[in-house]
Amino acid sequence: MPESFFYFIQQLLNGLTVGSTYALIAIGYTMVYGIIGMINFAHGEIYMIGSYIAFAVLAALAMMGIDSVSLMLISAFVISIIITSTYGFAVERVAYRPLRNSNRLIALISAIGMSIFLQNYVRLAQGSRDIAMPSMISGGWTFGPEDGFHATVSYMQLIIFVVTFISMTALTLFISRSKMGRACRACAEDLGMTGLLGINTNQIISITFVIGAALAAVAGVLLGMYYGVINPYIGFMAGLKAFTAAVLGGIGSIPGAVLGGLILGVTEAFTAGYFSSEYKDVVAFSLLVLILLFRPTGILGKPEVEKV
Amino acid sequence: MKSLRFTPAILSTVVLLVLTSLMLGIRLEPSGVGLKVTMAETSSLYWIAAGAVVVFFFQLFRAPIDRGMSGIKQQLPSVPKEPLRQIADKKGFKTTLICFAVAGLMIWPFFVSRGAVDLATLALIYVMLGLGLNIVVGLAGLLDLGYVGFYAVGAYSYALLNQYLGLDFWSSLVLGGVLAAFFGFVLGFPVLRLRGDYLAIVTLGFGEIIRILLNNWTSITGGPNGISQIPKPSLFGLEFGRRAKEEGNVPFHEFFGIDYSSTYKVIFLYILAVLLVIATLFVINRLLRMPIGRAWEALREDDIACRSLGLNPTAIKLSAFTIGAAFAGFAGTFFAARQGFISPESFTFIESAIILAIVVLGGMGSQVGVILAAVIMTVLPEFAREFQEYRMLMFGLMMVCMMVWRPEGLMPMKRPHIKIKSKKSETESSVKIPSVAESV
Amino acid sequence: MIRKMNKTLAALAALAALAVSAAVAGASGLAQAADTIKIALAGPVTGPVAQYGDMQFTGAKMAVEQINKQGGVNGKQLEAVVYDDACDPKQAVAVANKIVNDDIRFVVGHLCSSSTQPASDIYEDEGVLMITAASTNPDITSRGYELIFRTIGLDSLQGPTAGNYIVESVKPKRMAVIHDKQQYGEGIATAVKNTVEKAGVDVAVFEGVTPGDKDFSALIAKLKKENVDFVYYGGYHPELGLILRQGAEKGLKAKFMGPEGVGNKDISAIAGPASEGLLVTLPKSFDQDPANAKLVAAFKAKGEDSTGPFVFPSYSAVQVMAEGMTLTKSESPEKVAGALRSNNFKTPTGNLAFDGKGDLKDFSFVVYEWHADGTKSVASK
Repeated sequence: MPESFFYFIQQLLNGLTVGSTYALIAIGYTMVYGIIGMINFAHGEIYMIGSYIAFAVLAALAMMGIDSVSLMLISAFVISIIITSTYGFAVERVAYRPLRNSNRLIALISAIGMSIFLQNYVRLAQGSRDIAMPSMISGGWTFGPEDGFHATVSYMQLIIFVVTFISMTALTLFISRSKMGRACRACAEDLGMTGLLGINTNQIISITFVIGAALAAVAGVLLGMYYGVINPYIGFMAGLKAFTAAVLGGIGSIPGAVLGGLILGVTEAFTAGYFSSEYKDVVAFSLLVLILLFRPTGILGKPEVEKV
Repeated sequence: MKSLRFTPAILSTVVLLVLTSLMLGIRLEPSGVGLKVTMAETSSLYWIAAGAVVVFFFQLFRAPIDRGMSGIKQQLPSVPKEPLRQIADKKGFKTTLICFAVAGLMIWPFFVSRGAVDLATLALIYVMLGLGLNIVVGLAGLLDLGYVGFYAVGAYSYALLNQYLGLDFWSSLVLGGVLAAFFGFVLGFPVLRLRGDYLAIVTLGFGEIIRILLNNWTSITGGPNGISQIPKPSLFGLEFGRRAKEEGNVPFHEFFGIDYSSTYKVIFLYILAVLLVIATLFVINRLLRMPIGRAWEALREDDIACRSLGLNPTAIKLSAFTIGAAFAGFAGTFFAARQGFISPESFTFIESAIILAIVVLGGMGSQVGVILAAVIMTVLPEFAREFQEYRMLMFGLMMVCMMVWRPEGLMPMKRPHIKIKSKKSETESSVKIPSVAESV
Repeated sequence: MIRKMNKTLAALAALAALAVSAAVAGASGLAQAADTIKIALAGPVTGPVAQYGDMQFTGAKMAVEQINKQGGVNGKQLEAVVYDDACDPKQAVAVANKIVNDDIRFVVGHLCSSSTQPASDIYEDEGVLMITAASTNPDITSRGYELIFRTIGLDSLQGPTAGNYIVESVKPKRMAVIHDKQQYGEGIATAVKNTVEKAGVDVAVFEGVTPGDKDFSALIAKLKKENVDFVYYGGYHPELGLILRQGAEKGLKAKFMGPEGVGNKDISAIAGPASEGLLVTLPKSFDQDPANAKLVAAFKAKGEDSTGPFVFPSYSAVQVMAEGMTLTKSESPEKVAGALRSNNFKTPTGNLAFDGKGDLKDFSFVVYEWHADGTKSVASK
């Protein structure tokens, strides 16, 4: 097969890896938006906190002399998910719940404020410098011609695919099958009515934030280990990209967030691969504008019904 | 003791401890090329403990505290407004007030330090930006997260027009505004049919695209190097530098035969900013009283009703977007002149967020509020320079607290309204003509 | 109608006047009596590059401390005052005005070229002597200013040093030049590209990446496809560290080289074994100079890190300032500037002499080879 084919495959894989992590973070945006219609701007910072916790756990375990990779991974996931979810819960209680019935913009500003606050909180606690960790899982599979270009998938990339897939499946099952999931869907449909039917909407909203934060923590652990470098500022850009992905797919729709994330990731990889890295973001945002022009509510978004 | 709530108190304390445990409680330190975890300094452990105690007792005594707070609120006397209004309505008073205010603004810089004047100039730039965005967000209700793009267009048009065509500040000021308005028009045209948050993200995208293009187009814009040595504005051809930069120009101090002082330049820039802000206020107030201004607000309140009344929403939105962009262009041109050097990093998303925060903190739609918020947002961080480490932390916290405690902003917008009294009060006092509040 | 509007306008204007004047008058500090000579240290205390600001403050504060121990300057003690510009050009201008306002005549800073540039306009105008120990962009001193100096080399000098080394010692078949689209990185990268292209080396890829980005897999695949065997990266260590790390994982077999912005221990922490063999142009590493052993020990005694590239240049900046004041027996920035231009100074960064523009007459960069444990050794020719 020609070399350019493997190059194409390689860029596609690169794009899908980045895209899956965008998707994990985007789900947090989309779930919150779907239920209370606000943009949780601080969600990117939640992801960043997830990374920090994971690093702390991994470093602590390494210092204790534990070298079983699977044990380290599992404890990093569990602890990071617990603590990061608590952050998601606390943020909603402190900054958003008092604003439940106010203007959309008010909540947005509160969220931007929360984002700045969390970023600087972590900076003060841990310093602004990059914190790096040696890679724990290295190596990968190579395929392609012996001489010339061959595509590579690292084990870490595979782990990202697998974990993303598992999380998505679990979330879909939770939303579609469980009682709590049904309550979530009901809230997304009509918050007021759901409350009237005897469902504790405050609790459902809290759960939404916790699930979003937990998925952000998963992304934080995965990306922290994949890239190996974190600083208090990584949340902002990641959050912005994930938000773009959520809107691209149709904000409020969970499959949309996944699709949007993957499309965004692949677009960026192909732009960088076939054109130039400099225009990666320009092309990503232009794609967003274009899609919204033809489908004003995103790819899988429901057309808005005008209510009087 | 039913008012003591033990369970929530313990719960909140546990949450606080979980939150801080692996963040404030430990420190990640690089050791060689690896990473190690150490306990945080004892002082921060004490802080965590103190925080936990405070949260515990606050939650425990929440009910009595709440009761106490509401008691205080009721006791606060309300300021009688009528006498003030009567004074304000007196003829001649407002003219005097304008004169005093403008005179105060003009004379004030001669008595304070140059740093203060410079800071005031920066605050006035934000006032201009806030007022411009206020049209788009506060009045027309379009959430624009890429406002900084138009600000960049204004700044770069002065810098480029000056560099390539040698145009001076004054003609660039006009052109900068026009160009920014043009950009607003062209970008606004396709996207304004989007609603709410979709519009927000698209404008955010445009803001980023403008910045990245400025950064990548190195041959024209200097890319990340930016453009330096942008001349300061001149007063009828008089320059404020120590030496005249252009042939045939006379420096200000030589013309008047006074000693050179750099303060003149700073004060001149400041006065220019004041004049620009006054002009902005004048134009916006005129627009507000024109049908178009009314249409903006009507559109924000009810899109469908607006259409039913035969207004064209796209045209109205577009006009708000374009006019808002024009003011960003003016502000940008002035910013380039004050700064003398611009590069794309001055026009990042966070700048848009700050301008938006100014509009919302001030109270959407309210111009007085926007002015106040812009001044607070620029000056407050300067006060906090002593705690520079904690500056941004407090900034974020303040934004959250403001929204929670006073979401309508510092100075909520007032509009002409008539309050229909409830039946009970109607029976008490037959028919009281409701007062019509002044709109701002 | 007009009447109403006037009232509104009046209220607005009055409010603006009150708010601005009350707030700002309070913010402005009072100038203090001068029994000390204040030196402003301007640089990022906050923001993403704060760690480089720390290097600058560490070096300068140590110099102030040691000079004071030896009796100060002209019988007065020096006092370092830190100003935070967060490497933001807008804040840099505000900081510069504040420094002028606080009646400080000497500045060591700023760090980022994009902050130094607008700030230096103000210093020159206001008669404040500024020495930057970190801004390497050539434009800063090319404007004919009298009071602007630097104690570090220029991008335009570092680029050719790297370029010549590549042409003479590395002799790559196909090379790539990558940069981070910032003033510093792109400046050096362009200089390197021009130098090697003149010598006939083929630059297959010349591309910018986004600073703060984490994923470079698409770029690495491209480099692999182009069969690049040597990559020059203009920028800072976080991005290059990630490129090295991800490149090693993806089987990219190319040698890398970068400027002093990547010459930081952290790059080995990020890239791990992949940082072995990275070439770095650095100012001579002053902390390994035997003549500076005492100074290094002093840093160590205070628990400070003296390995950063800007620590010693900042120390020298303060020292030449102090010596200039001693020589002229004055605190006039103009006189001190004159003395700086006409004298030689023996500092921890070598014998310094300034040319007419305010740059060092002789500042050499050395090519080092980096090792996976974060140490470096002089690269073989």
